[in-house]
Amino acid sequence: MTFRQRHLALPVAVAIVAGCLAPLAVLVAFSFYEVEDFDLIPAFSFRAWGELATSGTDWFLIGKAVLSGLTTTVFTTILGYPVALALTRLAASAKGLAIIVLLTPLYTGEIVRIYAWRIVLGGEGLVNTVLQGIGLIDEPLKFLLFSPFTIGLVLTYNNLPFMVLAIWVSAEMVDRRLIEAARDLGARPIDAFSRVVFPLTTPGLAAGSLTVFALSAGELLTPSLLGGTSGATAMALVDNLFGTAFDWPLASALALALLATLFLVASAMAGLLLRLKGARAVIGRT
Amino acid sequence: MEKRREPALSPLLLAMRSVVKTFGRSTAVDGIDLDVPERAFLTLLGPSGCGKTTVLRMIAGFETPDAGDMRLDNTPLAGVPPERRPVNTVFQSYALFPHLTVNDNVAFSLKLRGGVSDVAARVRRALDAVHMADFGDRYPHQLSGGQQQRVAVARSIIAEPRLLLLDEPLSALDRKMRGHLQIELKALQRRLGIAFVYVTHDQEEAFALSDIVVVMNRGRIAQKADPQTIYSRPADSFVADFIGNSTLVEGRIRERRGDTATIDTPLGNVTAPVADGLAAGDAAMLVIRPELLSTRGEGAATFASTVSNSVFQGERTVIQAETAGVSLRFAAEAPCPVGASISLWLDADRSFITRIAA
Repeated sequence: MTFRQRHLALPVAVAIVAGCLAPLAVLVAFSFYEVEDFDLIPAFSFRAWGELATSGTDWFLIGKAVLSGLTTTVFTTILGYPVALALTRLAASAKGLAIIVLLTPLYTGEIVRIYAWRIVLGGEGLVNTVLQGIGLIDEPLKFLLFSPFTIGLVLTYNNLPFMVLAIWVSAEMVDRRLIEAARDLGARPIDAFSRVVFPLTTPGLAAGSLTVFALSAGELLTPSLLGGTSGATAMALVDNLFGTAFDWPLASALALALLATLFLVASAMAGLLLRLKGARAVIGRT
Repeated sequence: MEKRREPALSPLLLAMRSVVKTFGRSTAVDGIDLDVPERAFLTLLGPSGCGKTTVLRMIAGFETPDAGDMRLDNTPLAGVPPERRPVNTVFQSYALFPHLTVNDNVAFSLKLRGGVSDVAARVRRALDAVHMADFGDRYPHQLSGGQQQRVAVARSIIAEPRLLLLDEPLSALDRKMRGHLQIELKALQRRLGIAFVYVTHDQEEAFALSDIVVVMNRGRIAQKADPQTIYSRPADSFVADFIGNSTLVEGRIRERRGDTATIDTPLGNVTAPVADGLAAGDAAMLVIRPELLSTRGEGAATFASTVSNSVFQGERTVIQAETAGVSLRFAAEAPCPVGASISLWLDADRSFITRIAA
């Protein structure tokens, strides 16, 4: 076998496969174990899988993770496109600065951000105080904090930079003359977007969507600390089962089921987006 | 021989008046007036940076003039976005949509318009016009440069624009393909009866295609005329230098008699046709085109020269000869030995005395 450029990827590929598959194998093994008197006993038991299969709560939480991932992806897409396209219009010198500003939220720790949101959205927080001050509302808006709204808002905010970056890189590669050609041929700006820019940036959208979906579907802290009664997540349940409840087999089974579900949804998303004509024109010419 | 059709007297299609466009501190277009008659093939010719592409982009609506007035069919163009102008463009880079087939590229404007019932038939006709009817299902990357250019032309004529703009459409093609497409473009323009505004830096292309050539220099129009006039009576030394391989010899006008003048140059006194507005005492430029020099002939304008270079180019040999410190270039049938003394005869009646460009 002669050495080729693609073989350079081998070491990393091996590390990724080993680092990913080995823990998964451990999880698979654990999911068939039994627990007796706080001891894990190797066995070939379907107890955990049976319990998972019949648990409405577990599947509800897995579905909730998928839904949370998808809604965050949709919101960041809608908000991300205008930002990413605006970035491409900036002068080269301004672009660097804009990217740094865009990523600023990521430099602050997650816990710091979460408590900052509490201050901003709380009953006596910034938003409510200002709205009451200018007389728009009499009572503080309760839904701002500890609600599904909060989770959606904060997940969108946290993940927006990833979506913007992915779309931006793709949008930079769209030849501006194609947009001019579209306008020349009678396309209003919105038509030029839907018929030329959007199709040709679907690879970036796919990359951003997969990133945002994975990050937000698996998010634990934001729902727990800002979601109030609606903050239960499959992740938190896994954490609870591994820790306090000491039911490692069920925790493993739930984790595997969540992983498989998210993997399927992500694959479907990738397949859908990358099969579009625009994506094929950019990433693969067959 | 077929007589040249005169484009004059055609109604005015596009009128530009005192149009200015600056980018930052540089002035790309410096107050130009330009008329494009209906059905004309007008070429903007000039070196890179002369403002010709900016003029084209202002007509298309991609750039907004800083000052001046532009009208198409006597309707002001100010504030009209590109998509609402009855003008289409053939881009230098073709700018075909990579994710659409040839058919979909060509149908783009009709589909946007909506309500067009015979899209497929019109696409077929447009592709037929550029001999690309068999390529409808291909994607742009499956086509050669010349084929992509044909598709770009089909795409831009399908909506039947009042005016077609072409931005150096053939510059990326090899010489042979360029020659073919020049002939086809000219034929297409005649058949469609659409006015073409064509941008190029290639004077041969400009002469081959155009009814009207507009030579531009540093954001201004240096000369606007038919190709023969541009060639034989260049308005100033810039035009003379840009067109062809003329030798320019600076001198001073001794006296003027009607349309001819005698100019005092390092080569001696030469009497030749003269540009309007030049008078005795003015500094001026004698334009000697290569075909006006020969080693045979009789007359007053004969120079003793020494051959300094002889380059065989196939159909002809380009010879450079030195006379009184001036390098004269001309074409000869046969090579000459370098260093040989020759007697050069100038057909002064066909040379031209023009003004010195600012």
